[in-house]
Amino acid sequence: MIGFNRVSLAYHSGQFALEDVTFTLKPGSFTFLTGHSGAGKSSLLRLIARLEKPSSGDIIVGDLRYSSLKARQEPKLRRQMGIVFQDNQLLYDRNVFDNVALPLIISGYRFKDVKTRAMAALERVGLGERYAENPIVLSGGEQQRVGIARAVVARPKLLLADEPTGNLDAGISEEIMKLLLQFNASGVSVLFATHDQDLLTNYRFPQLVLEGGRLASDPNASMANPARRATRGSANA
Amino acid sequence: MPNDPAIGSRWSYTKRGYAVTQSIRQLRERSLATLMTLIVLGTTLALPAVFWFGSSSLSTLIKSSVGEESITVYLDMSIPDLQGAELAQQWETQSGVRATLYVSRREALALFQQQNDLDDAITALGGNPLPGAVVVFPAIDTANDPLSVELVEALANRFATMAEVERVQIDLEWVRKLQSALTLFRIVVSMLAVFLTLTGFLVIGNTVRLELLRRHREMQVSTLLGASRSFLNRPILYTGTLYGLLGGSIAAVIATITYSFIKTPADQLAAQYASTFRLALPSGGQFLTIIAVATALGLLGALMTVLKPQQANITNR
Ligand SMILES: Nc1ncnc2c1ncn2[C@@H]1O[C@H](COP(=O)(O)OP(=O)(O)OP(=O)(O)O)[C@@H](O)[C@H]1O
Ligand SMILES: [Mg+2]
Repeated sequence: MIGFNRVSLAYHSGQFALEDVTFTLKPGSFTFLTGHSGAGKSSLLRLIARLEKPSSGDIIVGDLRYSSLKARQEPKLRRQMGIVFQDNQLLYDRNVFDNVALPLIISGYRFKDVKTRAMAALERVGLGERYAENPIVLSGGEQQRVGIARAVVARPKLLLADEPTGNLDAGISEEIMKLLLQFNASGVSVLFATHDQDLLTNYRFPQLVLEGGRLASDPNASMANPARRATRGSANA
Repeated sequence: MPNDPAIGSRWSYTKRGYAVTQSIRQLRERSLATLMTLIVLGTTLALPAVFWFGSSSLSTLIKSSVGEESITVYLDMSIPDLQGAELAQQWETQSGVRATLYVSRREALALFQQQNDLDDAITALGGNPLPGAVVVFPAIDTANDPLSVELVEALANRFATMAEVERVQIDLEWVRKLQSALTLFRIVVSMLAVFLTLTGFLVIGNTVRLELLRRHREMQVSTLLGASRSFLNRPILYTGTLYGLLGGSIAAVIATITYSFIKTPADQLAAQYASTFRLALPSGGQFLTIIAVATALGLLGALMTVLKPQQANITNR
């Protein structure tokens, strides 16, 4: 469902954030995206969300080939995926409910559905009681969960999570990981960027490992590294 | 949670409702700044509005003034009274003529003697030195005719070229002066009105630009969540339109008040020239037109800001 074919991305500085990246992820898979800070994890996710355009190479998501994608199709593409951002990207000028409702308004849902879906998403992340509060008063972990609720509220087929456990303590990372697993179990493909070693060793999913913008290890190469062997989901290069 | 204060109205969760709610919220959250902007906008647009109210009254002033004037056509001395009266009747059917009146040589003399104490001089001349005359009242269409003075003069010239006519006399000089003064006044005020309207347009454009900066984060997040350009632009366009609507309403009110202050002295001044002239109070239609024009101005100002090419891609940081 996601295919990268020799994708490179250079920012205006000329420096390559990603270089010659090729991989394929199957629908319904759960995949870790890992690598040191600055390795290009966020850049790779931004490419999938079409928030950045590759300097060379092509990306295929579902049946869409990005090289032939028109600019006005991009918003619709983004509406079909859920994104959890590294810096959660919540709006502090409105309450939790309105934050979670925003993707539904953008997609043009009816009010009845907006209400039930937003509340259901908040229940799932365990924040059903906090819907009336401003996200600024919530803890970091709770804010990330609001971000997750917002990412899944429109029931996307693909969930991109950019270090949602970034600077949270281990217990909370575990909680968020469990949430993402639940969504994966209901059929959502998850691409989870993290450099949380505990998660990577505790959950043996296929890993895309980036090093300085190059793919050092993809799920196929996991044969050479048994510690990282895929135990669930599937992916092919 | 049927009536939960934490959840807005049903409508505010539709695309349009969301846009309206957002733009009204922005205006309310910064109510002092909004009020200041609206007052600036209102006063800026008020003068063009006053001018527009007055300008329709001014053209009626010229027309009705001309309509009260008459042309005196002095006939040749050789034309006898009978023929003169016939001519007067003929001319009455001509285009641009409302009525004619024949003044015979004898009547003319009687009038002359009444007005001037020159009995002896005339008796000394031994005979009637005055020609017959036809007084022509021009037909002025006060509703549709913008060039009354010129039309009356053209009519006068037509008579002047006739063989039977000795001389034509019209006293339109003061109307002509009035018209030139008003034309000059109009050009100056029109230019002023254009500049002020442009200023209003820029005030709205600038306000909307600030709004765009203030909303940057919301627009960025919405883009990340898949909002289309029209979704992003809609609240901005509504804000501009709202500024236009409110600013225009203030302008219409200020203009009407100002106008009613001007009305009394203006009527007194006008009465010295043409007794029937009065400034007409602005009609409801004019009032609404001002608001409509200002609203359109607001929408245009916002469109101009939103469609600027450098605003096109906010996802590229
Ligand atoms: N907008 C940008 N303009 C220029 N360079 C950028 C931009 N975004 C990222 N980079 C550079 O691209 C490289 C990859 O950055 P990226 O954010 O993808 O890394 P990352 O793996 O997500 O890091 P982290 O774990 O710290 O989030 C870095 O060298 C970074 O400096
Ligand atoms: Mg990152």
